[in-house]
Amino acid sequence: MESDSLSRRSLLQAIAATLGAAALPWADIVEAAGQAHAHAAAQAGRAKVTFLTAAEAADVEAVAAQIVPTDDTPGAREAGVITFIDRAMATFLSQLAADYRAHLAVFQASCRVQHPGTTFASLSSEQQIAFLKTVDRTPFFESTRLLTMLGMFTAPSYGGNRDGIGWKLLGFEANHMFQPPFGYYDRDYPGFTLDAGPTK
Amino acid sequence: MSARTYRDTDVVDFVIVGSGAAGGVVARQLAQAGHSVVVMEQGPRVWPGGLEHDEMKHWYLGGITNDPVKNPQTFRDDPSKKALQTKLKPALWYGRAVGGASLHYTANYWRFHEIDFNERSVLGEIPGTGFADWPITYADLEKYYTQVEWEIGVSGLANASPFDPPRSKPYPMPPLPVKSSGVIMERGARKLGLHPIPSPMAINSVPYRGRPACVHCGFCHGFACEVLAKASSLTTVIPEAEATGRCEVRSESYVHRIDVNKQGRVTGVAFFDRLKRERFQHARAVVVSANGAETPRLLLMSANAQFPQGLANSSGLVGKYLMFNYNSRALAVFDHPLNEYKSVQVTRIVHDFYNSDPKRGFYGGGGMDARMGPQPATWAIRTATADGPKWGSELKAQLQEFTHQMHIAGHTTSLAMESNNVTLDPELKDAWGLPAIRTTYKDHPDDLATAKFLQDRGVEILEAAGAKRAWRAPITPSTLSVHLLGTCRMGNDPKSSVIDKFHRSHDVPNLFLCDGSSLVTSGRGQPTMTIQALAFRAGEHIAEFAKRGEI
Repeated sequence: MESDSLSRRSLLQAIAATLGAAALPWADIVEAAGQAHAHAAAQAGRAKVTFLTAAEAADVEAVAAQIVPTDDTPGAREAGVITFIDRAMATFLSQLAADYRAHLAVFQASCRVQHPGTTFASLSSEQQIAFLKTVDRTPFFESTRLLTMLGMFTAPSYGGNRDGIGWKLLGFEANHMFQPPFGYYDRDYPGFTLDAGPTK
Repeated sequence: MSARTYRDTDVVDFVIVGSGAAGGVVARQLAQAGHSVVVMEQGPRVWPGGLEHDEMKHWYLGGITNDPVKNPQTFRDDPSKKALQTKLKPALWYGRAVGGASLHYTANYWRFHEIDFNERSVLGEIPGTGFADWPITYADLEKYYTQVEWEIGVSGLANASPFDPPRSKPYPMPPLPVKSSGVIMERGARKLGLHPIPSPMAINSVPYRGRPACVHCGFCHGFACEVLAKASSLTTVIPEAEATGRCEVRSESYVHRIDVNKQGRVTGVAFFDRLKRERFQHARAVVVSANGAETPRLLLMSANAQFPQGLANSSGLVGKYLMFNYNSRALAVFDHPLNEYKSVQVTRIVHDFYNSDPKRGFYGGGGMDARMGPQPATWAIRTATADGPKWGSELKAQLQEFTHQMHIAGHTTSLAMESNNVTLDPELKDAWGLPAIRTTYKDHPDDLATAKFLQDRGVEILEAAGAKRAWRAPITPSTLSVHLLGTCRMGNDPKSSVIDKFHRSHDVPNLFLCDGSSLVTSGRGQPTMTIQALAFRAGEHIAEFAKRGEI
């Protein structure tokens, strides 16, 4: 599948886009990206994803789960953000897919430079957080955060926001009709009067 | 359904390009005056009752707006740079369906004030800008503002604001019920000696002209109103135009060229129909109301041997003086729930800082309003990106403030500058093979200073009202707008303007332009009311010209 093949040109573009964001050994990263992608391609087909490979999906899901973590309330993982992102890249936001995959490869390669022989998803949460702090201004992180917000808070029909988890987190009620009072502060509003307040 | 259809070979009196806030009004005026009219609309005709609260579709997938995939655009902040394609959202974002942006606007309906029309004379020249007076005054437009309020339907409270310009009639409907954000703004502003007032909105507070009152669903901004309480051309003037039996609204008809004869007169428009077949509609005159992005684009795409710079462009100003209206955000969280996601965006506004004040050290003024902002996902994106990297438990905690947050928007003047403009991208083409819109835009430093000034006042109001915490969203350069203003400005001098004060192009006698592109100054952030007042006035004058044989 053509979308599984990462072109050298798009990788270099992705690297150029991240330059200045963090001081990293770029030659190593380009090399590692090639290996990472080969590894990811070998994993393809194991998860129910259509655009991302299983290994890519594991890393993206792990990043999303750090963006909106699970604590006493559900987070990105429970909301099914990874399903949303995979479906978005495969279908309704496919114009972003090539750049996203290229940025993801850079992210994975950078991670392998820091943590050889493993993947972001396999790191401990503390290690993940420490690494993300070094890359949280890169195009990959920013795109993933954007997609995580969309996957958490748009309609469940797009694959995320499972059971309205995202809307419950916000306190948003998906109704088509409301009546005043809407909130605490308009409850006992006395009505608008022209002389109600001090004037200059 | 259209009550009347015309054949391409029929020579109709008027083709109107665009069915939005301006085009709908002009169509109704001309059809009611007895003319045959074909309205060409790029987008489909969508019945509002079939619409849904689908934020993904409406904010990110071009649901009823221009689609970044089919209608790609490029953007740059400096003319020396190559403009880059905007992949997630268009830089110039507009309604692309029958009704245009009047479908998905917020429906804030302030009138411009007298000063918006003659500010250049009052304040003097601003070097490096195209700051100019209008060829008309507020008094020329007053009766048409009143016409908008009564015929489109605006709720509000007349004479509540000491800053409002004179009016001949009150509003036809009382203001909408106040929201918590409105109460908070009113309380904070009054503590500071300011003058908050109920916001005029083109949303029914009571049943009006056959449309019901608002049900407070909260999906105005970016969505068409499914109960028709929010006025749009689709549900007001277009049915009235069609009821004359003389107006056809032709949806999915994408006009890409206006043709002229040897005498330099317009003969009709070339368009792609829904099957992408190229067709031609003959007309005695053409009115372009395609918005401040598509109107100049169409004129530039209509360049020919006779008009090599583009149609109606002897001034070289077609596409130039693009103005956005910056808006800054002062945010706050309160102890108790506001639930701002319910009901209309805005219920209280403050116009105390409307006028420019030389003592501030920069040009500019603005209007402020209290609001939630967009729906959940876009709100969350803004929350996550407001100031640098934000994620993890810090982000999650802020997301959980959703029902307790609000913001005060500070809507600014934008100075007209030639370097801010719409041109044809030299490389990128749309899905019809037509040149993409290329936007070049950089806020004038005074626009950003005004944004900051209003943001500071907003924080003061929120703190005076007892905010638990108030903060400022970063003021970053504009890269996207839904206010598309000034790109075919009106004026008396054909060298420094594109249309005359009756919207007739200086160069082509039977070509009229009427929409946001006509504006000479930007106003203070809510342009649709003025665009529609101009359209009522233009429609009336164009009908008179036709009657007198002056077209």
